[in-house]
Amino acid sequence: MNATPRVLAAEPTLADVIGGTWMRFWFTPVGPWPLALVRVLGGLLALALWASYAWDLETWFGPAGMIAPALLTAWRSPFAVSLFDFATSPAALWLGYVAGGLVLLAVTIGLATPVTSVLGAIAFTTLLHRGPMLVGPADDVVAVILWCLAIGRSGDALSVDRLIGNWRGRPEPTASFRTRIALGLLAVHASVIAAAAVLAQLKGDVWWNGTAAWWLAARADSPLVDLTGIFLRAEYLMNLVTHAIVVFEMLFAAGLWFLTVRRVIVPVGLVAWPLIGVIAGEPLWGLAMAVLALGCLPARIESTT
Amino acid sequence: MADHTPPPPPSETARAVLTVALGLYLVGLALCVAGHSSSGSSALVRTIHGRLFAPWMTLPWLDLGYDTRLTHAAPEDGDHSFELRRLDAPAASETVVLPGPTMRGERAARWRRLARATAVSEANPDREALLPAAVGAGAFGPWSTSDVSLSVIRHLPPDRSDVLSGQADVAGRRDRAYAARVRNVGGEVQLITSTLRNELAPLVKEPTR
Repeated sequence: MNATPRVLAAEPTLADVIGGTWMRFWFTPVGPWPLALVRVLGGLLALALWASYAWDLETWFGPAGMIAPALLTAWRSPFAVSLFDFATSPAALWLGYVAGGLVLLAVTIGLATPVTSVLGAIAFTTLLHRGPMLVGPADDVVAVILWCLAIGRSGDALSVDRLIGNWRGRPEPTASFRTRIALGLLAVHASVIAAAAVLAQLKGDVWWNGTAAWWLAARADSPLVDLTGIFLRAEYLMNLVTHAIVVFEMLFAAGLWFLTVRRVIVPVGLVAWPLIGVIAGEPLWGLAMAVLALGCLPARIESTT
Repeated sequence: MADHTPPPPPSETARAVLTVALGLYLVGLALCVAGHSSSGSSALVRTIHGRLFAPWMTLPWLDLGYDTRLTHAAPEDGDHSFELRRLDAPAASETVVLPGPTMRGERAARWRRLARATAVSEANPDREALLPAAVGAGAFGPWSTSDVSLSVIRHLPPDRSDVLSGQADVAGRRDRAYAARVRNVGGEVQLITSTLRNELAPLVKEPTR
């Protein structure tokens, strides 16, 4: 009896699976829309944060300001430097500030994006280095978003660049692996930031005994809405809000890596992060986290043009 | 008509280079988060992070721990503000609170962070007295003065159970986390810190014989 020769497909090894997943995650080209949306919203947030310095710019960073460059040696890493350190007159300070604001505006509307997205990230981070003690969590997240915009082709859609391209008859931009890398980095940071936040919170008893929401609401000035009356009347609701924040952050951090969970947790994050921001008195941080989540929307990530 | 053919993937060499770069960055990100934990970090993590990753992750503002704890109900988690008073003028008319009542949003939040940093940095020998002197001296110009009193006011939210039992008001209470006199004498900024009441040792009476 003749045995029929059989060709057996080689079982993929663990290395093949990991390598294939890595390649698909980082190098599958995607269309320009998700990152363009992140650019518009992230740019608006960056502008809002940039504008918050305007009223006190000279009081803080002026030649006779409170935060002199010499003082910063005790605050900054030796590897840190700010271009604003060299602004030794009010005119130079304002020139740098206005120029940086215009660059961020150009990023937001998508004008000369390949150049302005890099300059915008540099301008934003250089201002943060000028006064590290003024920096909040929203600044940290927006810095990540701006660097990701600089890596990807964020001006290929929803932009003045695209309008100019259409007017000149240039072809529609194709999907890009650079944009995929930028979206991948946004997803990694979204997960890491949520995980780091929840780990930091769980070191405190109030996140275990369910009273953290009260301690956030009872602060004097930060809260945007007064929830103390509700939490005084409804202890279970206060506990629920506290535990819901922790559970959501855990699910968000882990769920981004499982497609079925991601389909649910990311849209929930678009609402939940701003709500947490409002409760915590850090609304711009909540919005910045929602923009990070926007870059992780499964349907958008998988789509290719 | 637009060309909808899928773009070619990056070349093998480009993917290899990018894989190494991304791998390095992800290791750096993990070490930054571990190296900035409020619980401290091991000597191994500190050394690798400090020598290999901090030099190039600091400048783009990526050398961070992202440990947004929101609150632990600790005193330093309360809202902080400055109270600046001109000492060469009638006190009531020349007291400024920062952030002021009209300040809102991120601008007010930055002033609160500066006030908190001023109070907290006093526990750090490398930073002690630097910010209070700088903030106090920053008021010299606008006020045309050379002598101010600077306080950091800390809001302590009340415990919920104390509010329910009537032992505390829902508004909480405010204490002085830091207080000093800042003056300019012959071009030199001097800082005279005030000993706060809660830092004084309790008075122990001699037992009567």
